[in-house]
Amino acid sequence: MSELYDIPRQFLIDLADRGVIHYTFLYAFVVNGFLCAIVIGPLLGGIGTMVVAKRMAFFSQAVGNAALTGVAIGVIIGESYTAPYFSMFSFCILFGLLLNFTKNHTKMSSDTLIGVFLSISLAIGATVLLWVSAKVNTHILDTVMFGSILTVDDTDITVLLLTTLLIACVALPLYNQMLLASLNPSLAHVRGIRVKLLEYVFVLLLTILTVACVKIIGAVLVEALLLIPAAAARNLNRSIKGFVLWSIVFSTASCLIGVWAPMRFEIPVPSGGAIILTAAAIFLVTLVIRMTVPRFREASI
Amino acid sequence: MKGPSIVFENVFLSLGNTRILENVSFRVGSGTIHCIVGANGGGKTSLIRCLLGQMPHSGRIAIDWQAAPVTGYVPQALNFDQTLPLTVRDFIALTCQRRPVFLGVPRAQRELIDAALERVGLSGKSRFRLGSLSGGERQRVLFAQALIPEPSLLVLDEPMAGLDLAGKEILEEAIGAFAAGGGTVLWINHDIVQVREVADSLTYIDRRVLLDGAPAEALASGAALELFPTLVAKRPAEQRASAS
Repeated sequence: MSELYDIPRQFLIDLADRGVIHYTFLYAFVVNGFLCAIVIGPLLGGIGTMVVAKRMAFFSQAVGNAALTGVAIGVIIGESYTAPYFSMFSFCILFGLLLNFTKNHTKMSSDTLIGVFLSISLAIGATVLLWVSAKVNTHILDTVMFGSILTVDDTDITVLLLTTLLIACVALPLYNQMLLASLNPSLAHVRGIRVKLLEYVFVLLLTILTVACVKIIGAVLVEALLLIPAAAARNLNRSIKGFVLWSIVFSTASCLIGVWAPMRFEIPVPSGGAIILTAAAIFLVTLVIRMTVPRFREASI
Repeated sequence: MKGPSIVFENVFLSLGNTRILENVSFRVGSGTIHCIVGANGGGKTSLIRCLLGQMPHSGRIAIDWQAAPVTGYVPQALNFDQTLPLTVRDFIALTCQRRPVFLGVPRAQRELIDAALERVGLSGKSRFRLGSLSGGERQRVLFAQALIPEPSLLVLDEPMAGLDLAGKEILEEAIGAFAAGGGTVLWINHDIVQVREVADSLTYIDRRVLLDGAPAEALASGAALELFPTLVAKRPAEQRASAS
């Protein structure tokens, strides 16, 4: 796979060498981060619209916190502590499915249940990780929570690309069905949609997506990128088409600007923080537009 | 097109420790408008959901399809975030289109949707945000989606709730036209005056079946006196009005 990645990598490095783009792109780690940003932006922006529509805003954070425990388990069973993907995926998928199973069998509201699971997962993750901290550098906690897009390697890119492919193959054909199931499960069932199965499929996809992005942008930032661009797009649009399109645009722009701007203008801000700050700035602009432009005016209460 | 006939036979439903339905048996004729009436909490919606395969009932519910087994279902209401960017066209396309709606609605599909909206008096509203419509208009959108693809059975769960007089007339006309074309309608309806006017048959349910038959006969029975005292009291006045 490495040779395959060398093609775009070398292309960007050549451009930097000829002075077409900023000289920091001479460094392979910057190019890697940039390539990840190009993939993560549309991916999180697109899925974010479904997360917002299904009111699952905090689910990915709960899964991200569960990734802490996954990392700890990986360390215990002897996986590489910089990329314990097997443990992270296994534990987080179990966690996500258990959460959905509990929701289906208790009929509790999503936000309450996700809140409970989020707290539990953070507590278990932090506890177990500290317990194994004698074996590894404890900065791994920071990496899981906030990621580091500039330290991604070919394995991370491969995991991300496979995840993107999986999500595109599953979520695109099922997009309408998933959305209808969240609007009215009874109507969706009459339309031949297997509502419960689709819930599990979506939870599974969101879990895989979150874990694939944890190392790159961090558990906290995955959630932010799922929510903020979609929320910004929602401020300005009245149709699903505009909602999804603008969410993808905002998310991709946030990722690219977040990676490029701190290096170009030598601002001492980590790339993860810059990505979210860019997304937040876009959200604020859309908010001001929504509050001031007459066509968006609505009842105040 | 010929709608199906439906047989409910000894249908029981319990949820937790609560008995919702008890020995419910009745028949819905092919191509008829059959109204289910009854007090709140009497089990009408639960019965419909048993028919749709969404409740763990016992007993037999048999649908004898005479044509393509297509059911149009109008739920009571949509419980959704009203600020969601979702147009009327988006919503209907969600129910009947495989291609992701954010990639657009093909022209043929758009024409079908516009035609269905016209049938419920909402032409020109396809690009409105669903959340910006009034409750009554949203009910009509729900009805419009049930018409695509052309069903042979319409299952309606209080579609008139929240509708103004004009809206009621439009839906009543659309339901009448559907039944006149041979379709079967199973309709939960609280408006007993309307039931008497439009239904071919009715079933009154309060956990069990209390009345069943053609409206003229069922509402003339002794049991109807207790269930609909105001309706029965109105009859002499109505007779005087029609005589004059």
